[in-house]
Amino acid sequence: MSLHPDIRMNLARSNVLLIDDNPQALEVLASIFRGFGVLRQIKCGSAAEAQTILRSREIDLIVCDTVMPDMDGYDFVRWLRREGPEEARFSPVIMLTGHAARTTVESSRDCGANFIVSKPFTPEVLLQRIYWVAKDERAMVRSDTYVGPDRRFRNIGPPLGVKGRRKDDLSTHVGMAKDPNMDQDEIDMLLKPQRAAL
Amino acid sequence: MSEAEVFKVRNRLAQHVAEPGGMTAGMANSRAGRELAAQHGRSYEAIGETLETLEWLCDSRDAPMDSVYDLSTQVLDIAGLFDDKQLCRAAYSLCELADKLRTREGEDWASIKLHVNGMRLIWNTDEAGREHLDAMVEGLWALTDRLRVDSGEAEGETPAAE
Repeated sequence: MSLHPDIRMNLARSNVLLIDDNPQALEVLASIFRGFGVLRQIKCGSAAEAQTILRSREIDLIVCDTVMPDMDGYDFVRWLRREGPEEARFSPVIMLTGHAARTTVESSRDCGANFIVSKPFTPEVLLQRIYWVAKDERAMVRSDTYVGPDRRFRNIGPPLGVKGRRKDDLSTHVGMAKDPNMDQDEIDMLLKPQRAAL
Repeated sequence: MSEAEVFKVRNRLAQHVAEPGGMTAGMANSRAGRELAAQHGRSYEAIGETLETLEWLCDSRDAPMDSVYDLSTQVLDIAGLFDDKQLCRAAYSLCELADKLRTREGEDWASIKLHVNGMRLIWNTDEAGREHLDAMVEGLWALTDRLRVDSGEAEGETPAAE
């Protein structure tokens, strides 16, 4: 299931915060976002650095690695959703994960990120997730144990322009009608019970 | 326990994405592919340096498993951005192995060394000629799956369903 190549998106004015402790991985990630047309990207080598940035800058999307020393990606997102600056608290977050260590499985489920992307991945997959995050209409949930996007999914079909995996997958975006509208008589005929002569 | 609060938030990203201009997904993907290609040499050089450190750890055999884990995630971190499935699969197997070992406070340098050698072999081989290395990567996984670390000793066991 991939994003339709003709879908147009404008990322030029989005402020994207990239967080990875590995300088080379951060550089590569930044180059991918440059390719996507993101002109305003801020690179951070640690969660602590990102915390400082979030206190002073308006951020539209956060892309964060999971494994980092001191504060890992999951703890960072948990901090953001609970104690982060008011205007950044519910910014969309895409987590990039390599290996899921036993100790972090629960953290990843409950941290409150919008999407988790497993490595290896292609730029296509990342762009698709960015598009999904932009179209994500899920409400936020705040409870004692969880703060983040509502995880109670219902099947509303694939996003517009994305081909579904199931044969009966239909998008909720029904688009323009193919046939002309029915006139009132036709509608009345459908609704009015008729006596059938046998 | 208090009741959960459900609320809508403004998605600024959605507003920006819908602004006029920008580019098609197809164009964005090919541009990103070109940017990625430009980073390939430097990135694989960095992976090579990480493998060198791992080789050194295997020779000295006294490093904590946390170091092995951290270095293998570094390989996975970079190779994962290039969609290098084979190298990632080998690195993931080493992450899994080191994670198992550190959880149980054990060590098994022979298996770690095999992984590092395998990763070095993948790193040294052009992508076009890598097909024959699939079996080697599966072998690394078999090693990780079969490993039972009990009180610091590695023994064979039925592969775990993971």
